[in-house]
Amino acid sequence: MVNRSRRERGVSLFRRRSSTSIYGYGTIAPAVIVIALFTIYPFFYAISASMRHLVLTMPYDQRFVGLGNFIEVVKSYYFFTSLKNTLVYMLSTLILVVICGMTIALYLNSGLPGFNLVMIIILIPWAIPTVVAGITWKLIFHGSYGALNGALYSLGIIEEYIAWLSNKYLAKAAVIIAHVWKETPLVAILFLAGLKTIPGELHEAAMIDGSSAFKSFFRITVPFLKPIILIVIVYESMVGLATFDLLYVMTGGGPGDATSLIGWFAYTETFSFLNIGHGAAVSLILALILLAFIMLYLRLIRIEEMY
Amino acid sequence: MKKLSMLLIFLFLCSSLLWAGGKEEVAAPIELNLLAWSYSVETVQSNLEKFERDNPGIKVNYSDVSWFNFHDVMATRFTSKTPTDVVYNTDEFLEEWDSAGWIVPLEDYFPQAVEYKKNFPDYVTEAMSYNGKLYGLPYFADIFIFIYNEDMVKEAGFAGPPTTWKEVTEQSLAMKKKGICTYPLAMQFAQKEGWSTMTVTSMVYSLRNGSLFDRNLNPVFAKSGSAAERIVTWIRESLLDTKIMDLNSLQMAEIDVVKALATGKHAFTILVKYNLAELNNPAASQLAGKFKIALMPGETHETVGTARFYSLTKMATERGPEVLDACWKLIEFLGGITDGEAYVVRRWVLEKGLGVSYLSMYEDSEVIDAINKWGDVELEREQALLGKIKEGMTPFYPAWDVFTRAEFHKAFLGEKTPSEALKASADKWNELKKAYYKE
Repeated sequence: MVNRSRRERGVSLFRRRSSTSIYGYGTIAPAVIVIALFTIYPFFYAISASMRHLVLTMPYDQRFVGLGNFIEVVKSYYFFTSLKNTLVYMLSTLILVVICGMTIALYLNSGLPGFNLVMIIILIPWAIPTVVAGITWKLIFHGSYGALNGALYSLGIIEEYIAWLSNKYLAKAAVIIAHVWKETPLVAILFLAGLKTIPGELHEAAMIDGSSAFKSFFRITVPFLKPIILIVIVYESMVGLATFDLLYVMTGGGPGDATSLIGWFAYTETFSFLNIGHGAAVSLILALILLAFIMLYLRLIRIEEMY
Repeated sequence: MKKLSMLLIFLFLCSSLLWAGGKEEVAAPIELNLLAWSYSVETVQSNLEKFERDNPGIKVNYSDVSWFNFHDVMATRFTSKTPTDVVYNTDEFLEEWDSAGWIVPLEDYFPQAVEYKKNFPDYVTEAMSYNGKLYGLPYFADIFIFIYNEDMVKEAGFAGPPTTWKEVTEQSLAMKKKGICTYPLAMQFAQKEGWSTMTVTSMVYSLRNGSLFDRNLNPVFAKSGSAAERIVTWIRESLLDTKIMDLNSLQMAEIDVVKALATGKHAFTILVKYNLAELNNPAASQLAGKFKIALMPGETHETVGTARFYSLTKMATERGPEVLDACWKLIEFLGGITDGEAYVVRRWVLEKGLGVSYLSMYEDSEVIDAINKWGDVELEREQALLGKIKEGMTPFYPAWDVFTRAEFHKAFLGEKTPSEALKASADKWNELKKAYYKE
């Protein structure tokens, strides 16, 4: 009797577990299928393409070339220049976005007047699609009828219009400014959310103990914001490394190769040169660089030390 | 009540089936997919409406893409096998698209197309041919011309337009000195502008020994003292030393140059000839009537001749004979002569000033009058006779073109010497040539 009852309980538990498992798998299945179709399959296809001679104008020759495409890409005229451009771009935008985002978040958290208005204003760039933002900034920096030239000229700061996007240094600065403008709102909101979680008593206690605002920021605020800082750094590094749309609209990679990042050449190899093998190799190299950065960040900012 | 409901449902289903069956009796029209770059969309749509009226069994699905993205979008479209039957094409893309197996020779499927060759200038036939086969019928054919603002030239104290590049510099400096304009020259040198390299090529053609390649497709432009080196050096000096050319030229596409000239900011440029019609159109230009065509400055005054045409895709040939037949009807309507008239080609010439692709049209008084309204038919014909087909048309030309535009920028901005930039471009050409022709 006892054995039977145990057996029945076991079967019932098994059935319950089975139905729970089916329900669980059924629930996550759509997401898994979507990810498999749009992430996993393309990823493995990219690996396969990167190891074949896959040039659309030579459809008869798709031989396996192993790491040949990677070697050709690394030896290519653009690789090291674009790698340098990409790292400079990523680091510049990252630093500026963090500084600007933190400044705005601190202002919004300070309880000073104008909170609602500033919130609305800073959210606008975030809500604008990148291509639209790129076109807007291209018009602002336009050498013949751009708003920036108009303003500087009216104020007497410049004597003649400057061709911002035709100069390799100014063009780089222009795309960095546009990028920072676009990305700062999200970062500011993330930092603001983090700031709201810091108990006010900590700052009050620090103030009573005679700590300066500067010291309080680095001893209290920054440690509390570490998890968010990590998220921001990882996310903004990804965005910076993979930037393409803004460059496509604003400068077309020029003048020369001045604003051509690695992502730009992944596009150019694939769609302009029709070399899918090279394009896939560039994309995978970009992914590896990104992975290396993420691992580095995780090492530098240890999660267990955050709390 | 239940029986009545059942009866009503039964009747509804029967009538639905009969209606659906009845519809099938009417033959569905053949649907063709036409892919174009965006230009005067309303005119294209009106042409297609006429075509559909004349051919009730054919429906044309028209899509257009910006010219700047056209090549890249088409590559994606063909690779993903998005239905495309007839496509706008250019002499730059012809060999590449054929090699990729995206388009087919028109004359292989419609031998009657060959008859049209008799009526084309040589450069037009050549622009639409590959391996001796005709790949399309013309949308338009045109030449790169030198355009000048007549009033500005006169105000600077010159009786006529410059005839050499040295004179272009002299007249421009005079304009600067007199305060007529800050940068007399503006060019379409934006890196995304497909005409950019062709503009430089047209300048190279204007000089003695103005070639880019020899008969075996070896680059000769990188040789010391070549016409290309002289031209790139001249452009660089115009941008950086004499400052007669607007540095914004490096960001200017065709449309930007047209707009800037139309507001009187610049006096000289090189554009494809049809832009002269836009510049002298009172509805679009503040200075309509002031812009004139001059022979390309230089020593030989030769220039680039180009053609845009309608191609048949490989995908269309796989859809069966009825669709193929419909494609021919569409291509012939758009680029050929039907009912004794090149309706669409002529309309582009008359209404938009696009270049004449049929020799017989030069005898058409209405066409002559239309050209003379905004240009000079005699000078146009003289320049057209000096039109040379683009050199280096190979499957890898588009890739080389994209690379070379960036090299030109480096030379123009002084990052590289003209000879260094041209050498890099020649090396790229040789690398691509070796990869393509090793078999």
